[in-house]
Amino acid sequence: MRSADRVTAVLLFALSVAFVAGALKYYSWWGSGGPGSAFLPFWLGLVMSCLALGMLVRSLKDPNLGASWLPRGEGLRDMLVVLGVTIAFVAFLNVTGMVIGTAIYLLILVRYLGRHPWWMTVAIALAAAGFNWLVFVHWLRVPMPEGIIWTF
Amino acid sequence: MGFGVALTPFNIMMAIAGVMIGILIGALPGVGPPSGVAMLLPLTFGMDPTSGIIMLAALYAGTMYGGTITAVLINTPGESASVVTCLDGYQMAVQGRAGPALGIAAIGSFIAGTIGVVLLMLVSPLLARWALSFGPPETFALMLLGLTTVTLLAGDDPLKGYISMVFGLMLAMVGFDIISGDARFGFGIPEMMDGIDFLPVAIGLFGLGEVLYGAEQKGATQVKTSLKLRDVLPSLADWSRSKWAIARGTAMGFLVGVLPGAGPTVAAFMAYTVEKRLAKEPEKFGKGEIKGVAGPESANNAAATAAMVPMLTLGIPGSATTAIMLGGLMMWGLRPGPMLFEKNPQFVWGLIASQYIANVLLLILSTLFIPLFVRAVRIPYSILMPLIVVFCVTGAYSLKNNVWDVGMMLVFGVVGYFMKKLGYSPAALVLALVLGPLAERALRQALIISDAGIFILFMRPISATLTVLALVAIAVPVFRAMKTRAR
Repeated sequence: MRSADRVTAVLLFALSVAFVAGALKYYSWWGSGGPGSAFLPFWLGLVMSCLALGMLVRSLKDPNLGASWLPRGEGLRDMLVVLGVTIAFVAFLNVTGMVIGTAIYLLILVRYLGRHPWWMTVAIALAAAGFNWLVFVHWLRVPMPEGIIWTF
Repeated sequence: MGFGVALTPFNIMMAIAGVMIGILIGALPGVGPPSGVAMLLPLTFGMDPTSGIIMLAALYAGTMYGGTITAVLINTPGESASVVTCLDGYQMAVQGRAGPALGIAAIGSFIAGTIGVVLLMLVSPLLARWALSFGPPETFALMLLGLTTVTLLAGDDPLKGYISMVFGLMLAMVGFDIISGDARFGFGIPEMMDGIDFLPVAIGLFGLGEVLYGAEQKGATQVKTSLKLRDVLPSLADWSRSKWAIARGTAMGFLVGVLPGAGPTVAAFMAYTVEKRLAKEPEKFGKGEIKGVAGPESANNAAATAAMVPMLTLGIPGSATTAIMLGGLMMWGLRPGPMLFEKNPQFVWGLIASQYIANVLLLILSTLFIPLFVRAVRIPYSILMPLIVVFCVTGAYSLKNNVWDVGMMLVFGVVGYFMKKLGYSPAALVLALVLGPLAERALRQALIISDAGIFILFMRPISATLTVLALVAIAVPVFRAMKTRAR
């Protein structure tokens, strides 16, 4: 945890410096009769840089290493698989469409995470995709991504 | 007169439909009250305005409760006013007490909602006149207080609470500046010009972030539940423990809800903070304290009712949801403002009467369906988790029918995962993101009218009181940290 705090503090400090610099460079500090669009970003960046420095100093003073927080082994693998499949789901949303994309996504993840029998996995995927279609497309009339396979 | 309007079969049907859809929408992460009301608004255009607003108002009440269900059962607030319910509600569910948590929330909501309607009827002219005297300094001071109370909530580490909050405010700076027209921090991306919507951020932080965290822990936070209806009802001990929390939550929720800009979310946060402050055993909060559910849940329902006061009497929305309803009123050809009570009495009193009915319906329907919702949690994590992600994606998408928001949701899912692991406060970030643009505008307007710079905040009695309270809220964790170090 200590090392994570140090890294976060340095990143946040860099971010806040860039934030302040960007605000002052591109936006006006004072507008017609009142504070301009750079005013609050400047102060927020300043406060954030102080907070980040505070956390850096505190973690440097801290003698305890703290608990390890990095994920390892099976936990890390499962987390990355969920994240990866989700990113792919979103990336291909405009190709597969929401309903078919949902079904494919569930087929892959439910099977991977739970090792449920195939009939159950397929049933869950179809039921969820159907529910999604019924509520959002049919009832609420949300124009979902249609995809290139099946348009409706 | 109002009940005559509200009790027609068609309007009762609309109220039932509103409550049912509201619970469902509130329970779905990402489809909160504002998007629910926005999506259903076009459906009501074919109706009589009174039936339309009855349905929307019932829906609003329903979402307040629906959001609680997911907050308690899967630690994912369906809407922002239930964020704080996660803290203790989910812990109760982990301990196998999901039933009483939902039960006390339903009872608290019913009491708060009913008392809220009575207050709405009796004191709305007085409160409205008071809120009318609010200028930008008062508005800013109120929001400052709302934001600093978050730091009191932010867990063990106030420093990380502040960092989460300021980060949220920085995100709120992105997008068009209303006063100058500058497109701030947009990097030339059109979607960034509109700013960062809080909904995809909230869905990412709470929904996807939790799923990623859960995937790594192998569902270690699986909920134990009891299915018997008997266990769903809070025990007498639960009730006597929570009754004052409900009373305080109702009073505070109504007061906060009436103020423009501070809706149910702020009310729920403040109620939680007050309960924690007043408690004899504050260390129990965050570990399944029933008062931590009863207080905020009563407060957010009272605030949702109270938000109607400025909307109806002044034409100023008290929350995002009432802002959309206000747009609806105008589309129906009604003019919100003091004249509404005189010109369209059947509309106003029909709406008020339907709020009583909606509260009764809510209590009945939610109590009946609690066992059903509790059963839903028995679904194994390996099935529930992907389903939550599907809801997150659908919810983020349906906000603006835009894949960009889904991408935003993904990014903040990863951010939420790290925040949870490293002890930051996603709730503080989300509240800051919601209040940020409003607070900035109020601050700048206050400075424009001020001769004394920032000290205008201390020169008017109401804003001075609120600002001092906010400073006290900042000082408390600092003093506490110094005291611990001195020992």
